Amino acid sequence: MNTKNIDEIIALSEELRWEIGDDFHDNLAESIYADASKIVEDTVIKDNKKSNFRLDAKIDKIVTSRIWGFPIMLFILGAVLWLTIIGANYPSSMLATILLDNIHPFLKSTGTNLGFPWWLNGFLFDGVYLAVAWVIAVMLPPMAIFFPLFTLLEDFGYLPRVAFNMDNLFKKSGAHGKQALTMSMGFGCNAAGVVATRIIDSPRERLIAIITNNFSLCNGRWPTQILLATIFIGAVVPESYSSLASLLAVIGIAILGIAFMFFFSWALSKTVLKGEVSTFNLELPPYRPPVFWKTIYTSLIDRTMIVLWRAIVFAAPAGAVIWLISNITIGDLSLASWAINYLDGFGFLLGLNGVILLAYVVAIPANEIVIPTILMLTVMVTGIAGGVGNGVMFELDSVTATADILKAGGWTLLTAINVMLFSLLHNPCSTTIYTIYKETNSVKWTVVASILPVIAGFIVTFLVAQIWRIFI
Amino acid sequence: MNYTPITSLAIFFGICILLFFVFRPKKGIYFFLKSMYHQKDKTIIEDILKYLYHNQTSNNSISTIDLTNTLNFPNTIIIESLKKMMDNELIILEHDSYKLTSNGNEYALQIIRAHRLWEKYLSEKTGFHKTEWHERAERKEHELSPTDINNLSSLLGNPKFDPHGDPIPTKKGKIVSKRGVHLSSVKENTVAKIIHIEDEPDIIYKQILAENIHLYSIVRVVENNSTRVVFHSEGEQFVLAPIVAGNITVSVLEKSDLEEDNIARLSSLKMGETAKIIGLSKESRGESRRRLLDLGFVRGATVGIDLLNPLGDPKAYLIKGTAIALRKDQAAKILINKISHGK
Repeated sequence: MNTKNIDEIIALSEELRWEIGDDFHDNLAESIYADASKIVEDTVIKDNKKSNFRLDAKIDKIVTSRIWGFPIMLFILGAVLWLTIIGANYPSSMLATILLDNIHPFLKSTGTNLGFPWWLNGFLFDGVYLAVAWVIAVMLPPMAIFFPLFTLLEDFGYLPRVAFNMDNLFKKSGAHGKQALTMSMGFGCNAAGVVATRIIDSPRERLIAIITNNFSLCNGRWPTQILLATIFIGAVVPESYSSLASLLAVIGIAILGIAFMFFFSWALSKTVLKGEVSTFNLELPPYRPPVFWKTIYTSLIDRTMIVLWRAIVFAAPAGAVIWLISNITIGDLSLASWAINYLDGFGFLLGLNGVILLAYVVAIPANEIVIPTILMLTVMVTGIAGGVGNGVMFELDSVTATADILKAGGWTLLTAINVMLFSLLHNPCSTTIYTIYKETNSVKWTVVASILPVIAGFIVTFLVAQIWRIFI
Repeated sequence: MNYTPITSLAIFFGICILLFFVFRPKKGIYFFLKSMYHQKDKTIIEDILKYLYHNQTSNNSISTIDLTNTLNFPNTIIIESLKKMMDNELIILEHDSYKLTSNGNEYALQIIRAHRLWEKYLSEKTGFHKTEWHERAERKEHELSPTDINNLSSLLGNPKFDPHGDPIPTKKGKIVSKRGVHLSSVKENTVAKIIHIEDEPDIIYKQILAENIHLYSIVRVVENNSTRVVFHSEGEQFVLAPIVAGNITVSVLEKSDLEEDNIARLSSLKMGETAKIIGLSKESRGESRRRLLDLGFVRGATVGIDLLNPLGDPKAYLIKGTAIALRKDQAAKILINKISHGK
């Protein structure tokens, strides 16, 4: 056969293909599906399917009912968050005692005994070790509680019903109902929330869920919110209401985050993401008793350990940087002081200060070390008593002592409110940024997801600061 | 300058307003500059060719004034382009009206091919909304090279029709002729199939879309007079102004051509009712269509409602023993035959 023949045949086939028309493909696919289902109907014998549908239908009627659907959902989410935040306190403080109060001095004295020069000792143990230990102590317990609880709910089959109930709200902002789940997962850890968006199979909605996940206040940020609300918000109201006021302030910030999530989902789906393919479907699998130990095991390994490992990998260099900028001096000031002086003007415009901005820059790897870094830098800059030395992060057991340091650093109620806002609205931590890159495989979307919240944070804190200064 | 909160707020809002004017959708300076940049000779020539082609098929004669009035380019540039086109033997001037030469006709068909293929591409492979297809294709048609167009065509499986029902010319310029009549001219009590929905002018097209009228659906006209056209389709009733109905082309069906009667949309199913699926509407496209087929929404399958939503939408449908939640706009694109309650 010569090539001329082949070309003719190809031309003929294209001609015929065109003559047959568009319907051909659809009809073929449809008839294959139809045939397959007919064969199944004829040959597969199903045993009495009535019995196994009864219980499911009953549970479904309750969890998706008009009256009970939403209260049940809020109660369960609230319970999971409460268990996580309260329950994590004890193991966290235990880990902090072991890693920070016992092992850290031990390592330092060992270093001195071995004849390490002061800079190596400081760099390794005050910088790298302390940052890693901090992240483990703050991050591990809540994650070890939150993820297994969440996975159990998922395994039981309840979570798809949440997506089903919530879909209409998310649809209005161009998102998928399952984003309710990835958002809740973000309350535990944004990196895990981003990974969880795999359950959304529509490309556009998945990108929306990934980019807006950072608006869920994560585990690393809850303690910051609680601490600042306790010190500053609780102080403006009468003593007896102070804990209620600070609680409401923290919940308010979390709800504000949800509002931002909806707003940006809507804005993204109407602008840059409108060309991405969008489909919707949601399977509601039957309920089943969770496989308890297997679930605990896999959620610990798959979610907790992987996220923790990445966080440690990123925290170690951050610790090194924090120690270095506080100890390397140019002229008569350390690098950190130069940076703070430089950032102070911009910080003031936002109702913040240079210390806070620098802390957020060096603490990109982990939100957990923002407060320790702020305390250390404040002590260094103001020269007040307290702290353990340049570049050594610390936290104080007593809230009043912390408050004293912050107030000495020039903090007002406005500063506290804006730090709470900025803690909600800033770039995701580097673990999350890396995860976003891995999940989207696109530099463009990674940059969008990282920059968007910071810009929102700048604008919001700026506006709050100006309006505050005009009226108060 | 000293800092005061008021001046800084004023500067901030000043920047916001500036950005707004630069990036305002469609009217902003940024888009103006962008369109200036794209306004090349090629674009103008191709737009003139297209315009002449469309008018030639409907036997209108086009003079220079018609062109300068309709096309959105400066008059001097249009005249210049017309001269250039006559030099290149794309058009000729006969009794003050322009005619396409065979070369010009071929060129025009290739532009139309690019336009319709790109609309098909947007409908199948992207998530852009229907209302944007036309405008995007208007810009893209000038950017595609002949190889691009052929690659696009084979990627899409050499489609015959664009998503509005317009025929796509082949590489060699062959085009399916479509016979049909405007919906506004159909007699009462006729049954017909919608074969084309015109996407220009924009205002009327958006009205048709808002009514949720689907391409290739079967309609039964029940009232047709100078004030309104009323027809039934897929279990719903539609009322259109005659001018809007004029933009919908239908082909009249003989009674014997009717495959199915009593067609309804899945979205109209009530709790407790069951139905048999007839098929997916042609309006369900691309990835969504394949997903629905994968889930078992195929001809002959039985479907019922499993769960209602506390917020009304989506509803969960029971299909092949599995509960699948679908949104209302998806369910509207699944055609069913309700099974009577007796069974």
